[in-house]
Amino acid sequence: MKRFLSSMIDGRGFDIGLVSLPLAFLLTLSGLPLLYNIVMSFQEVDMFSLGSFWRPFVGLKNYRDLFAQPETWPILANTATFVAASIAGQFLVGFGLALFFWTSFPGASWLRGLFLVSWVMPGLVVGAIWNWILSGDFGVLNFILRETGLIDGNIFWRSDPGFSLWAVIIANIWLGTSFNMILLSVGLSAIPRDLYEASELDGANVWQRFWTITLPMMRSSIGAIMALGLIFTLQQFDLFAAITSGGPNNASNVTQYWAWDLSFRQYDFAKGATISVIMIAFVMVASVVYVRSTRHEVRG
Amino acid sequence: MTAQIELTNVNKYYGAYHALKDIELSIRKGSFTALVGPSGCGKSTLLRSLAGLENISSGTLKIAGEVMNAVPPRKRDVAMVFQSYALYPHMTVEENLTYSLRIKGVAKAERKKAANEVAAVTGLTHLLGRYPRELSGGQRQRVAMSRAIIRHPKAFLFDEPLSNLDAALRVHMRKEIRALHDRLGATSVYVTHDQVEAMTMADHVVIMRDGVIEQQGSPLELYDRPANKFVAGFIGSPAMNFLPAIGGQDGRSIILDLGLKQTIALGRTVQPGQALSIGLRPEHIELAAPGEGILSAPVALVESTGATCFLTMATTPELSVVFNGRSVARAGDRAGLNFVPGSMHLFDAETERRLPG
Ligand SMILES: Nc1ncnc2c1ncn2[C@@H]1O[C@H](COP(=O)(O)OP(=O)(O)O)[C@@H](O)[C@H]1O
Ligand SMILES: [Mg+2]
Repeated sequence: MKRFLSSMIDGRGFDIGLVSLPLAFLLTLSGLPLLYNIVMSFQEVDMFSLGSFWRPFVGLKNYRDLFAQPETWPILANTATFVAASIAGQFLVGFGLALFFWTSFPGASWLRGLFLVSWVMPGLVVGAIWNWILSGDFGVLNFILRETGLIDGNIFWRSDPGFSLWAVIIANIWLGTSFNMILLSVGLSAIPRDLYEASELDGANVWQRFWTITLPMMRSSIGAIMALGLIFTLQQFDLFAAITSGGPNNASNVTQYWAWDLSFRQYDFAKGATISVIMIAFVMVASVVYVRSTRHEVRG
Repeated sequence: MTAQIELTNVNKYYGAYHALKDIELSIRKGSFTALVGPSGCGKSTLLRSLAGLENISSGTLKIAGEVMNAVPPRKRDVAMVFQSYALYPHMTVEENLTYSLRIKGVAKAERKKAANEVAAVTGLTHLLGRYPRELSGGQRQRVAMSRAIIRHPKAFLFDEPLSNLDAALRVHMRKEIRALHDRLGATSVYVTHDQVEAMTMADHVVIMRDGVIEQQGSPLELYDRPANKFVAGFIGSPAMNFLPAIGGQDGRSIILDLGLKQTIALGRTVQPGQALSIGLRPEHIELAAPGEGILSAPVALVESTGATCFLTMATTPELSVVFNGRSVARAGDRAGLNFVPGSMHLFDAETERRLPG
């Protein structure tokens, strides 16, 4: 007992104690639900068997049924579009802003701080604001596009099947840009200044410095931000709930919203779980990319 | 004498801070020039102004005869070795060396050939495939130098390149850098805060303080005829002794004030009664038998490295003495002292300038 206590105070016991607490927390609140979700995707679940764990196993039936539904492939395609366009938009705008603020003009750090505002806002609030901006009749976006002559008639962003997904993408890009910018700013400021001076003396102009110094030195930051971006966009739910509710007619529906809809509105828990499992596979890939890119830091 | 780098009346301000004041400097083609001075005196600022990494506020800067005031660094054709080395961490040694060639659009085979040639000279051949993080401090230093050499620039600029190395390696690299300079026939400007480095490596030494060039000349000129007390105290190790004195009434002697007064005849004239500061290098004071010599004083401390002996005399101010060999005197003994004839430097106590003549 005494040895145990002393190892708790200044030995390995302390380390193990420190690690086990969050591990236990993770296991109960994330690990078990995850497992339960996977198990459920192989079971037949209805309103009556909802309360019990031992339900009839049906093998891959849920997966087969899911892919037999006509809306499955379009929704998967929507999800891919949503993820790709959101990540690309967030990254490009975020990187542009990070580079812009990196030039450190007076008030740069102050302004950069202001950008965090978008990050602390709840998705539902952001959605509500974008609802106004995107509104078909009196929205600001339509007004700007019309005045600049880019469009003739109003676009009904939220109810036009051709635009509804893009309405959510635009809002999501706005929401995620500041996070991208902050992370990329950190990466930029970690590049030693003298590398740029050396490369400038070696004859490189601004573009050459960007391609040969900035981008390669940012590789791990960019890998991390891409992987996190994939995870965050696959999690994005609030904006769909607030802006389009997946409509019209599934035109802007994505897996994460659909899973919720199936489980909690149509009470088809098995299919909801099945979609979630498919999403888990994608997130796993992203996590591996993330871990690898943060491990391959090239510094010093 | 062709000047490779020429600065006329150069000033540099950081906001209100006057970092370089009326710099006049001409650097001969093929020479090795050292900029030396205490930390914060503006050496790096001057060097970075040559490179174009800082813009001068006024004056003219010429490199190879062309005015460079507003020319960006990449068009000045000078190479710099940074104190931090500034190696590109994501590139191998070979890629580091050939970076400038790649930017210029030189073909890959040719780049490889150039890298191999330079690596053979600097002893990096077996390290070409490594990344900077896999190199020791000395090896990184070599890579930084090679990266400059491969370009055949109009001038090499060094900013305290050896300060991150240990003492033994520093002494070795000193010789190596100088040998490379001679071999390449290059023009080099070398910043250091270490006067020994400046004295041993350079043909021309520029001593700075607070943004001002205090004196410039060959190392021995500075040693033999320092223009003021600052230069006199900065050059030489151990540092020069400064003794208060006043000009004797006959105008041909001084009265030293070392606790007790001591009259010493001079081979020159001074103003009677003028307040002076007498500079005497420790190596120009000789030990004599007790009771003999110009003056006699108790020994406070004896330090010996075996080959060289450092004595501190218990006078006010203290006198340090250095000579080769072993000391017969011990702490507490009295010893006589002689000054090597003609070795006294006379400075005005007020202005700290060397007395003319
Ligand atoms: N970018 C800068 N902005 C303001 N002051 C500077 C800057 N760079 C250097 N200084 C000041 O100029 C003086 C000279 O600096 P520097 O040339 O680096 O000295 P050193 O002789 O040690 O190399 C210092 O007092 C320093 O504080
Ligand atoms: Mg410096």
